[in-house]
Parts: sequence; structure tokens; C-alpha cells
Amino acid sequence: MSDEVNIKNKIKANSSLFINFVKNAITASPTVQNNFLDVTAQVALTIQKIIDDANLIVNLDYKGNDFWLKNRCKTSCFIDGGVDRTSIISSAPLSIRTGSYIVKPDAEDKNREFFEESMVFLGDLYDPKNELYDLSDDDFDEDQMLNKKKDGARIIFEAVTIVKHILLNRKFDYCFLHGPIEATVMPFTVMGFPTFTKFAVENMLPFYTKNKLNAEARHFINVYLEALKYIKQSKFPVYGIVETSNSAPYIKNLLYTYKSKGIISDKDFKNTLSTIKKYKITDSHLLEIILKNGQALKPLEVKKQIKGFSVTSGSAWEDKMESFPSVYIGYIKTNDHSSPIRIESLTSPVNFKKDFEYILATARLLPNYGFPVGLNIVDKFAKIPNWMSKASRRYYATHLLKQAIKSKDQNTISLAVKILSRKVRSWRNRPLGGMAR
Amino acid sequence: MDTKKWQSIGTVLGETNIDHFFFSLKNYKAKKGDIITTESKIPSSEGNIIPVTVWGKISSIESSNAFFPTEAAQELTNENIDIRDTILPMTRDELICKVIILGYTFKNNLKLLPLNYPVRPAATVSYPSSEDVEALLISDLGSKHPLFIGSLLARDAVKIRIDADNLVSRHVSIFGMSGSGKTVMVRRIMDELLKKQYPMIVLDIHGDYLGFIQKQKKLYPNNEVKLFYPNLSVSSEDKEIIYTLIEKLGNSLTDPQKDFLSSLLEKVKYEGGSLLKYIEILAFKARGFASESSTAFKNIRPASMYVAARSLGQVAKKLKNMEQTNFRHRQKMANLKFEELPDPATEPEKIIAKGQLSILYLKGYENLPASAIVSILLENLFKHRQEVEEEIPPFLTIIEEAHNFIPSRSENKDNIPSVETIRKVITEGRKFGTGVMIVSQRPSRLDETIASQCNSQIIFRMVNQKDQRATTRDSETLSVDDSKQLPNLANGQGIISGQVVNFSLPVQIKFDEELINDDIGNENFITAVENWDEKDSVKQRKKFAKDFSNISSIDKRKAN
Ligand SMILES: Nc1ncnc2c1ncn2[C@@H]1O[C@H](COP(=O)(O)OP(=O)(O)O)[C@@H](O)[C@H]1O
Ligand SMILES: [Mg+2]
Repeated sequence: MSDEVNIKNKIKANSSLFINFVKNAITASPTVQNNFLDVTAQVALTIQKIIDDANLIVNLDYKGNDFWLKNRCKTSCFIDGGVDRTSIISSAPLSIRTGSYIVKPDAEDKNREFFEESMVFLGDLYDPKNELYDLSDDDFDEDQMLNKKKDGARIIFEAVTIVKHILLNRKFDYCFLHGPIEATVMPFTVMGFPTFTKFAVENMLPFYTKNKLNAEARHFINVYLEALKYIKQSKFPVYGIVETSNSAPYIKNLLYTYKSKGIISDKDFKNTLSTIKKYKITDSHLLEIILKNGQALKPLEVKKQIKGFSVTSGSAWEDKMESFPSVYIGYIKTNDHSSPIRIESLTSPVNFKKDFEYILATARLLPNYGFPVGLNIVDKFAKIPNWMSKASRRYYATHLLKQAIKSKDQNTISLAVKILSRKVRSWRNRPLGGMAR
Repeated sequence: MDTKKWQSIGTVLGETNIDHFFFSLKNYKAKKGDIITTESKIPSSEGNIIPVTVWGKISSIESSNAFFPTEAAQELTNENIDIRDTILPMTRDELICKVIILGYTFKNNLKLLPLNYPVRPAATVSYPSSEDVEALLISDLGSKHPLFIGSLLARDAVKIRIDADNLVSRHVSIFGMSGSGKTVMVRRIMDELLKKQYPMIVLDIHGDYLGFIQKQKKLYPNNEVKLFYPNLSVSSEDKEIIYTLIEKLGNSLTDPQKDFLSSLLEKVKYEGGSLLKYIEILAFKARGFASESSTAFKNIRPASMYVAARSLGQVAKKLKNMEQTNFRHRQKMANLKFEELPDPATEPEKIIAKGQLSILYLKGYENLPASAIVSILLENLFKHRQEVEEEIPPFLTIIEEAHNFIPSRSENKDNIPSVETIRKVITEGRKFGTGVMIVSQRPSRLDETIASQCNSQIIFRMVNQKDQRATTRDSETLSVDDSKQLPNLANGQGIISGQVVNFSLPVQIKFDEELINDDIGNENFITAVENWDEKDSVKQRKKFAKDFSNISSIDKRKAN
């Protein structure tokens, strides 16, 4: 069987790619539709050749029983965050918490595992100054902003949780975060994205006193950057693990490197990138075909924050993008039927193979899902229970009314009442705003 | 009551309301059925906010390790991995308890009031001291005449009492499968009521209550315990019962034969006394009419009269048999003094008297005659309570194996005469002080009206679903969670609900070993065989058996 036929068969058998094909069939032009299979197959073939050429595929070792016997002495920390799901409007205070599941299998029972509520926050994370007035008339905008604020809150708290573990000098062999180790910050550069409160920042980054915490210093971009820089210094390896990739950072970077080396022409590079974009081809799609169960891709250095996006360009944050550390991205295919999981780190992994084997082993404990079981465990732990969300909403209602009444301004009061009596109606049946993981 | 001294055992979870809440329990700190508390605040009727203690009962506990994904088990098995070596969590078993709220108390007033405001999520749950729980139960019951029956199932130190006044007037049903502890419970209650001099009559089919008479001198020196055997004595007023008995016990009759029988009953007057004698007279008379081809009965041929006479003979024979069986059983217990049941119509005070327990020993009687006996007895006793000149004090009737006496309508094909009587006694019981205690292993087979008249229930282990359904149907206070527990109860563990307690309670009944009838080891066949002494007649037979068998064997050889 030729490579091409082989790849095409794989594509047909590959469910996520097929779903993408169906989606394209609905939105794309007939030519694009007709070509989908051929194009994807061709791209995959090409990428596979480059990957082989660069010798990026590594076969990981896993022998369940033996592996865990050898690794039972390791201390691992798994981190995830949860934000409440029921806030009514964007200026609502949020309830957030991050959990850490810390486990050392060979320790005696009472020291074997800890479920730690590493950060909990219920209240005004973002500076509520003036917020009473900037209530958007457009429900959709309002919804988008709310989702952004929730995402921002979760991202910052997860990063800060890692910071806290480093700060407390925790002796981990591994630290894993559910999600990217460095999120794309572009969505938070929009105009009007609020700054964090002084109180929040002081608690998140106790060492960060630069500029006496003026408004700029308290903006998401700066606080997050500070946290990432700190994480980069960690003595233990810290990895962010992502279930599926909605973009193609690995492939694009690989192509870029080959272009830079002069192996690919500028024209070919540009054309291929635009094909990838047009057909919405992601790392997950292609690597699911290329990698076999138990194989990994060596990490590549990738820039996460890219200058020149329409949103950031011209904004005050444009130059900041350069300061963000680059990320090392690798992939592991953990079972036969799921797409490979993405492994991110801020530093180039020292023991890449060993570390990836550890990740593979933790994912094998969830054989169907194929995702590290420790992250699945901490995900359940960190979820905000419904009743806590309710409590936070109640807290907010009283808080808002108190503020309004204190102002003694009739308009403000009636505005507050209006906000509180707003129906949840308009939040339903909306496209999911904000960023996906 | 010092609530601060109580041990904290968990935290209230999630969404609460005024009926129930959930809490997460610290390992091994409480059990199902335990009574727990949580401090809360409620708006008082004066408009203040007052701190109260909310009391509740753990109705179920679930343990789960929410963090252990089931998928993981697959890999552990396939790869032969020891979970201890992996990063999977092992210590996160979470115990979630459901609590039924009983009510709240304010300060040191231990009267439970209905909660009208939800408990606080995240509040601490405490384990009150045994003394305090007991104090609450006693004070809340507020009984003038408490009866001690056992201890709270989950906590031995908490003694449980039930209210005697409700028990003797509002009727109690005691259900549970055979061997689950019903009779032990009844004896416990009887012991308490005897000490209160309350008159009782118990229908004893198996001899389960003979212990009372054996131990009377020792345990109940101030009481009278009487042991009666039935005599089927009837008066002319009982014509209907007599007719039914003859009809059901005898051969089946055609319509003309039945007509003859009822005319016969009209004709042959009886001044009252033994039923057997009366039936013998009837049989004699019937044969007489038949042989002289009497024309006193319109349209009835002598042949029909013969058939009826034969049937009467049958009935007499059966009754004689039952009497004799009962007699033989009595004889086995020669040390016990049995008396013939006095005529309830004319001498009720010999059956019901202050401080007296009367045991009616019904062993050997078939359902129908037993029912007839009971019907006539209760009918008369009830009449005496109804009259202005009360000749007997209020009393309690204990009906063991009640499905025999009050079968449900669908089962009552034989028109069991006691059903009507007991229905009347139980319906009017509150008015006339004729309380009834119904004991049965088949609640689903009981007359629904009668069962639903019981305002309290004590339920023991019960596996049969039909019976469980019947039980929950009759009870207003037995919760679904309670009924789920029924199949898992051990001997002597029961759930008490209804008016004798204020809320349903799982109880371990105190076992009075002394009250066991030590004469009858009727289920102890192994011991019986071990101590088996051959009867003389058998010994005699054996003496010659060898010789006879020799003869027959030689004989056989010849034949060959
Ligand atoms: N409260 C109790 N404590 C200990 N054992 C009990 C208790 N109740 C019943 N038992 C045991 O179970 C046996 C059967 O009980 P019993 O009351 O005769 O059952 P039932 O009347 O329901 O058929 C008793 O002889 C005794 O051994
Ligand atoms: Mg019994």
C-alpha cells in the first residue's frame, strides 16, 4: 500500500478529522469540499516526511507494573482551576478556586496524598470602580466580557498556584497544569478589560510590588507575565497539558524552521500555511494520523504571543508581547483512538523522554480518555459546586445594592435594581464566547 | 445541655431545606439511624433572629471515592498494577449522609418544634451526647406513662421509651417476617403494661406467652396471670356464627340442604353452653326428622335431611378432634394450670381484670373455629365496655398471627367471623378503651381497614416486597428511607413509628430471656432427638420385631 493510500484510509477512519470535514462541507465552497480529503492527505504526507527528516518521533516505553514500581517514589502535583458558572453579569464578583492534587504513592497513608484547595477567591477580583456605569447595552458584548473575565481569572489563578508551590519551596518531582502552560493573552488586551484589585494582586503575587501596583501593573498582561517569569525559574519541571489543539502551532513552527533553514521556499511555506488555515487543519488532526500509540513528538520552541494581530496591533500591549517567554510544545499519543495530547513547558525539558513517559503512564490509567489521570482527578476536585455559585451570586446582589444605596443617587439605585432583576434569559442560546482551552 | 461539649462530626453540604439536608461525615464518626444536630439561626415569631439547635436523624449514608475513575480499574487489572504504586487516590472515600430533620429546640427547652427555616450550608454537624439525646427523646415524647422497650439502634446508651396511652388506645401493628422479633417485642410491652396493672388478653397460638405464667411468682408477684383453653360455648344469639361454622366445617351442601339446616337451627332451641354438645343434639335431631320423613320442613326431602345430618356429624367430629389436640398439648405441660375460658357474656370479670393477664391458648384449633372463639369472646367483652355499667376495665387485646383472624377482603373467602368483630373493636377502641395490638408476618394479607386503624407501627425485618408495600401504605410516618432499611434489620431490630413515638426511630428491642417459654422447644428438633427416649409401646414392639422378621424371611426363602 502506498503511503498516500495509507494516509487517506487513516483520515477516513479518524473521527475528529471527519467531523471537521463535515463542518467544512457545510461552510466551505464546493471546491474546498471536494478537495478536503486529498488536501489533508497531501499535507499529512508532507508533514510526516519533515517529521521523519527532523527525527522528531520518539517511541516511549511503558510497562505498567514495572513503571509504577520504579516511580512510586515520585511526588507529583496536579493543578486545575474552577470558576463558578452562574454569574449574571460581567461586573459580578467571581468565585474561583484552584485545587492541587499532590501524591507520593509510596508514602504512608496519611502522607500519601493531599487534596489542597490552593487558592480560593470569592469577591471582587477585578477593580469594580465605575463598573456600575459601564454596563453594556448589548447582551452579547456583556456575555463576551464576562467569559473573558472568567477565563482571565482562571488562568491567573492557575499560574499563581504554581507560583505558590515554588514560593513555598515544595519538593515536587513533577508539576502538571490542566491547560496551556502559557495562555494566549491576546483576548485580554481589548480595550476596557478591567484591572485586578490591589488586594487581589497583593495576594496573588506577594513579591510583586513594582510601581506600587498602579493600574497598569495590575492589568492581566503584566500580572500574568510576572507569574510566568517566576514559573520559568522553577527547580522542578512544570508542564501544561492540553487535551486537543484547536490550532496548529507545532506544524506551523516546524514548517517555519524548515523555511528558515532554506529547505522550504517562502512561497511553499506561505501556500501551505494558507491551506492549513483554509481547511482548519490542526495539530491534533494531523498528528493523530502520523503518531502511533505510545509515540511522542520531541518538543519544539514556539512563540505563543505573536505580534501583529489586529486586536493587539496599535494597542498599548503590542510591545509587551515580545516579553512573554516562548513555550516548548510536544505531543504524546496515549492510546489508539484519541488525538495526541499536547505537552507544554516554559523551559526546554531536561529529561524529555523520561518526563513524557511519566505523562504517558498517568494517561494510561485513564485508558479510554487517554488523559493524565491526576489532572482528571484534580479537575473534579476544583469544580465549583453549584451551591457555592449561588452563594457568590447572593453575595454579589447585596454588595451591589449596598454600594448603590451608599451613593444615595436615585439613578444608581434604580440601575442596580435593574441589573439585579435582569433575567437570565439573554444568556442562554448564545454562542460560547471567550476562549476555549 | 451543653452543646459545646458535643463532638463535631461533619459539615452541612450544598442546598438545604426545612425537611432534610446532606452532610459530609468524618470517617467512622456516626452511623445510619444516629441522631445528630447542627446549630442554626431562625426568625422567631416575635421577629428576632434566634439561635436554635436543629435535630436530625441520619437516614442514609453513601460512601464513594469520587476521584477514582472507573476506567482506571481496567488498566490496573490488565497490567497487573498495584493501585498503591500509582498516583490514583486511595484515601478520599467521601461519606455523604442524608439527614431527615426532626425539628429544632430553643435553649434548654427540649421540645422539638417544626423547623421553618433552612439550616445553614457549611455549618458544623455535631454528635450530641447520649444523655442529651435521651433527654430530648423523653422530653419530646412528653409521655405520662412511658414504656421502656430498648435502645436506639445506632446507640446503645440511648434508651427508648414509647407512650403507653397511645399504645393502649390507638392500636399498634407489629409486622416482620417469621423469627424477626415480633413476639419478643410483644412480651417486652406486656411486661411493662403488667407493671402498670393494665389488663390484657393475648391470643396465643404457639404457646409463646406461657413464660408469663411460669415466671409469674418471680417476676410479677402483684399480677394475676391466667391461662385459658377455649371452650366453644355459644348461646342462641350466636346463631349466625354457628351456621357459618357448620357450613364451612362440614360437607358442602345444596340449597335445600342449607334451608333445612337453618330451619333446624330455628327449631332446636338451646339454652347456651358447649357448641359441640349443641351440634351433637342437632345431628341427632336431624337424623330423627329424616327417619320419620318429617313434613315439618316444607319441600325438603328426607334424603336432604340425611345429608345435613351426616354433615353435622362431621362438624362434631372435627370439633372434638381440635379440642383433643388442644388437650394433648396442654397435657404436655402438666405443671401449668389451664382453666376453661369463662363465659365472656356472663363472667367477663374473670377474663379482664385490673392487673391480670389472660392467655388464651389456641393451639390445635383450625382457623375457622379459632376465629369463631375469638369473635364470640371479643364481641362480649366489647359489649361490656360499651354498657353504661362498665363491668370490666379498659383492656388491650393482642392478636398473634393476625392474618388468621383478620384476613384481607380478597383472602377472606370463608367469611371469617372475627373480621367484623375486630373491625368494630378497633374502630371504637378509642372511645371504649378496647385497644388492639396486631401481630403478623404477612401484613399484605391483612384486612386493609383494620390495619390502617393502627396509629403506630413497629416493623421488623421484612424482605417480601408485597408486605413492605402494605406496611408503608398503612403508615403515615414511615419514610421511604426507613422502608429501604427493612430487609437488612437483624433479629430484634425494628423501626417504630406513629403516635407511640414522635418520629420514627430504629430501635434494638430489649430481649427478656426470662420470658421465653422454656417448656416448648418446638423448633429444636435436634435436641429433641438427642434427648429422645423411646416410648414404652415402641420398646414393646421392638422386643418381638426380630422374631417376626425372622419368620417372614424364612417364609420368603420358601417362596423362592
Ligand atoms: N430483641 C432481641 N434481641 C435478641 N434476640 C432477639 C430479639 N428479638 C428476637 N430475637 C431472637 O429471635 C428469635 C425469634 O424471635 P421472635 O420474637 O419469636 O420472632 P417472631 O415472633 O417475629 O417470629 C428469638 O427467639 C430470639 O432468639
Ligand atoms: Mg412470633
